[in-house]
Amino acid sequence: MIDDEYLLAALRIAAGHDPVPAHVSAAARDTFALRLAQADTAAPAESVATRDTRDADGPRLVRFATQDFSFDLEVTIGDGLIDLAGRVTPHPGDGATIDIRTPHLTVSRDLPSTGQFAATGLPPGWFSVVCHRPGFTPVATRWVRIRP
Amino acid sequence: MSDHRLPEELLKAAADGDHSAWTGLVGRFGQRMWSVAHACGLNEADTADAVQGAWLRLLENLHSIRDPASVGAWLATAARREALLISRRGAGLRPHLCLPEGGPFDPDPASLILEADEGRLLWQAVSALHEPCRTLLRLVATVPEAGTHQLAVRLGVPTGSVGPTRLRCLNKLRTLISQEETVP
Repeated sequence: MIDDEYLLAALRIAAGHDPVPAHVSAAARDTFALRLAQADTAAPAESVATRDTRDADGPRLVRFATQDFSFDLEVTIGDGLIDLAGRVTPHPGDGATIDIRTPHLTVSRDLPSTGQFAATGLPPGWFSVVCHRPGFTPVATRWVRIRP
Repeated sequence: MSDHRLPEELLKAAADGDHSAWTGLVGRFGQRMWSVAHACGLNEADTADAVQGAWLRLLENLHSIRDPASVGAWLATAARREALLISRRGAGLRPHLCLPEGGPFDPDPASLILEADEGRLLWQAVSALHEPCRTLLRLVATVPEAGTHQLAVRLGVPTGSVGPTRLRCLNKLRTLISQEETVP
């Protein structure tokens, strides 16, 4: 069984229509700069995926975790931009830093003893948070798409 | 300049940090990823997001793709998965979060239809279809931005029948090419 999308795409490719826009190819090439040579991957955990649905425009909470490390993220939107606040557990120790990454910019923060971090006014799109831990492999969340 | 390395060689080199190999993968497979994501009914901005998402999934999986030789099919599958996630996004919650689904996945066998030779055979099959399917499939393939209303006008049918007709025509095409495949 061939899905409709594959059939349509195959017809369009063979017809030479629907060319991939240059900016999309450029973004794809630039994506390589986001490669981490070595990192543990934190996947979304089910438990705190959403808050009360009656608060449809309120912050969204999401947890990413490995077996022994977790990121709790709170996502809020203001004026079409993204605010991200979060906390890592357990605290990885002195000298740890956080990178909040998008394909366009990376915001770096020293991690205070509370394990909390925040960044505001980020462009909508794809996000990943990386915790650099002295003496250990960095931990990176999987990429998540956040749009208003 | 195109990169003549095999897909599995490009993947291995990219995983080892070779940016030119990554660029080679983009050149080789970027078009089909775009076309698949776009065919999921997304607008251009969301299609671009889906394609970028698929490349980010490749970054996450550079060392864990089970069959490196089929990285092209894997990327097309990833683009379709991200596009379908975006098109079903959120339950009205804002901001919309598209969380990655599940763990490692294998490429859809159906994505092999995106190979160049298959497209040529597909168009031969379209010419063998009766109307309105022949015209409808030509239109949806060559005027991707055509809406339901525009298609209805061109085909001379009511707007409400475009969706069902499109489904019926794609089914006929699917039947036709699967018959060809079973001929020895």
